[in-house]
Amino acid sequence: MDPEAEFGRLYEANRTAVHAYFVGRTADKWLAADLMQEVFMRVWQRLPELLDRSLDGQRAWIFTVARNLSVDSFRSERSRADTAAAVDDEPARPSPSAATAVVAAERLAIVSEAIGRLPERQRTVLAMAAAGGLTSAEIGSALGIPAGTVRYRLSEARRTLAAALAGYDQPEPSET
Amino acid sequence: MSIDDTLAAWGAAARLPAAAAADIYQRIVMTPSPARAARTSTLGPGLDPAWWRQFSADFSARIVMSTQPVPYAA
Repeated sequence: MDPEAEFGRLYEANRTAVHAYFVGRTADKWLAADLMQEVFMRVWQRLPELLDRSLDGQRAWIFTVARNLSVDSFRSERSRADTAAAVDDEPARPSPSAATAVVAAERLAIVSEAIGRLPERQRTVLAMAAAGGLTSAEIGSALGIPAGTVRYRLSEARRTLAAALAGYDQPEPSET
Repeated sequence: MSIDDTLAAWGAAARLPAAAAADIYQRIVMTPSPARAARTSTLGPGLDPAWWRQFSADFSARIVMSTQPVPYAA
């Protein structure tokens, strides 16, 4: 067994989902990275035990560790900006026109702010779906909740975001 | 731009950059781990059991001999 290769496989298979989970819990991309590192440090320390499990069992083990990690202790050690600011440090995507780019950036800012205000349970499933690319079933399995509950929380979150964007999309009534 | 597009853009921005993920991976595998220790500390097959039997027999014989009175030198 090559420990580094086995660990690399586990890391690549799960890092995006774990990071997305912590983005949902903390609303901070870099704090989420710290927490993700802590989880995978434990994976590295317990690798032989973990490799005896099935792929599903490995992911369940990893998310059990993630759920049990105290977010607050990490939060106090880090003074990074929140997700909205983290979004800002990403390079802007090329857009067909300046006007389209401005609209996209403004909508993104509105959504980022609205996501930051969501209840943590809704934000977590939303982040795991949008940033982690997980299905409702996969999110439910990772969090230990039914897929139906995940779909309900996603629906509630989307409704809140849609309401936030509606104010932006509606043109101001003209005064006559 | 639909809400799905906006959410996809948010998801992409919230994701950890590949370079940062690779850096975290390197930091983790640089630390000692039981798995690596087990691999690097594995000893070879060791000495043959017959060697140990012979060694034990010789050792015991010498212990016994050491308790015998030594004949006076002529």
